[in-house]
Amino acid sequence: MTQTTGVDMGPDVFAELREELGIEAPWEARGEGHWVEAAGLDPVTLAARLLARQARFVTLTATPTGDGGFRLLYHWDLDGSLLNIAIRVPGACVASIAAVCPSADWVEREVRDYYGLEFTDREDTPPLMLREGDERALFVRTRALGRDADPADTARRTGSGPAAQPPAAPTAWNGAATELPDAGAEERE
Amino acid sequence: MSPVIPVGPYHPALEEPYKIELVCDGETITDSRITVGFNFRAIEWLAERKNYTQDLALVERVCGICSNVHTLTFSRALEQLAGVEVPERARHIRVVVHEAERLHSHLLWAGVACELMGFQTLFMTCFALREKVMDVLEAVSGNRVNYAMNKPGGVTRDIVDSAMVVAAAREIGRVTSEQLIPVLTTDRTVRARCAGVGVLTREQAQAWGVLGPVARASGLPQDIRRAAPYEIYDRLDFEVPVRTEGDVLARIVVRALEVVESCRIIEQALDGLPGGPIDCGDFIHIPAGEACARIEGPRGEVFYYVASDGSDVPTRVRIRTPTFQNMPTVALMVARQTLADAPLIQASIDPCYSCTDR
Repeated sequence: MTQTTGVDMGPDVFAELREELGIEAPWEARGEGHWVEAAGLDPVTLAARLLARQARFVTLTATPTGDGGFRLLYHWDLDGSLLNIAIRVPGACVASIAAVCPSADWVEREVRDYYGLEFTDREDTPPLMLREGDERALFVRTRALGRDADPADTARRTGSGPAAQPPAAPTAWNGAATELPDAGAEERE
Repeated sequence: MSPVIPVGPYHPALEEPYKIELVCDGETITDSRITVGFNFRAIEWLAERKNYTQDLALVERVCGICSNVHTLTFSRALEQLAGVEVPERARHIRVVVHEAERLHSHLLWAGVACELMGFQTLFMTCFALREKVMDVLEAVSGNRVNYAMNKPGGVTRDIVDSAMVVAAAREIGRVTSEQLIPVLTTDRTVRARCAGVGVLTREQAQAWGVLGPVARASGLPQDIRRAAPYEIYDRLDFEVPVRTEGDVLARIVVRALEVVESCRIIEQALDGLPGGPIDCGDFIHIPAGEACARIEGPRGEVFYYVASDGSDVPTRVRIRTPTFQNMPTVALMVARQTLADAPLIQASIDPCYSCTDR
């Protein structure tokens, strides 16, 4: 366990939070934060409890677990201490916290764009980084494509990129084509 | 039917592409809608396909202004994973470059704000000061945009002429205190354009989780350098300027006061610059695990999450920039304001769309 930064809130706050939220796993002080696994925790309850303590929502990190579900890390700042609370979502659907925590609005839209995770109890979830009509779950689709999702890599392998094309013949100022010098002629001789 | 005035995504009043649609009743804005994503480069996705060395160069390109904060935060996350201690001299150098970047960002923004106000002479003063910072950054790092100063375990370059850096910091602090701040706080043009304009209340700022100078101008005394000190900030003497008005003028004043504080920090960091190495000297292996890092960038808290499976490519990189949090509140700031003030109000959060879109 390494040293953590932030205001030392004392063990009472963490114990109280565990009790309030019904978290069984212990908090772990690691690096610049305090971590806890709370698999079945309702994120709306979590948000309401932390907001009541004047905590600030930092962001949400969604990571696909590979079985169609997600691990969602809710990052909160409480008096300078970073709380990282992980919940597990078995499917592609989770309750939105945007109604109780407006600052989560954009990140929920972003997560839906990237991973196709649906947030319930929202009036609507318009795309943030994508445009209306774009297919959702951009990162999931591109992950499935593997190297084919990387246009530069695909171009290199298929020979369709700029590097694979012969250099264009330079043109003189009057538009007449200039003959390129044969760079390999000397070597061939 | 109320007219809707679309501004952007490409518009002379915007430094970078984004779109704001303003619903107006006469000259008064009644509603607005913000669209971002025009600079989307999928940097998180790319970072999960490149090794840590490549990622360091990649994250430096999240932003063209605060590029240093991204490598610093990313490096700090990796140092936590690897359990690496950064040498004391490197910590001092990191703070110097970090604060120089804050100076550069704030002065650039102040110049842009003055230009939007139509105050061309003050714009020139700001940019002349900014040029001194750029000279310092160029002398220290060899670069004017992407400084490439940070790496996991330390910094890539030493500061060989600290006297030059201290002299520049003193000069910038002096001109800011004696010329910039008096004009920004008392000039009739500035007050007419900025006082009481684009107000974000403390309650709104808290509810929307705004960060950095925007939060501090609305009465929230939050600063990661103070709340969760990193590098050597716990040993430095500096103030965190806070205003309660929540208007455009308060955001200007907070940033101007922060310029003076950054100059003080640079002086202190260089006065106490210890000898010794500038990096930990070892090739760093990143073991399996996950870590978060936060630093106080010029626009507010920058957050990184990095997960590793022990290979040389991270399994997850999450980047949350301050403008991503601050941008939605522009809709609150422009409500009931005049159309003519909209460009200045949106500029007053010092938006970075490159950071937002990543």
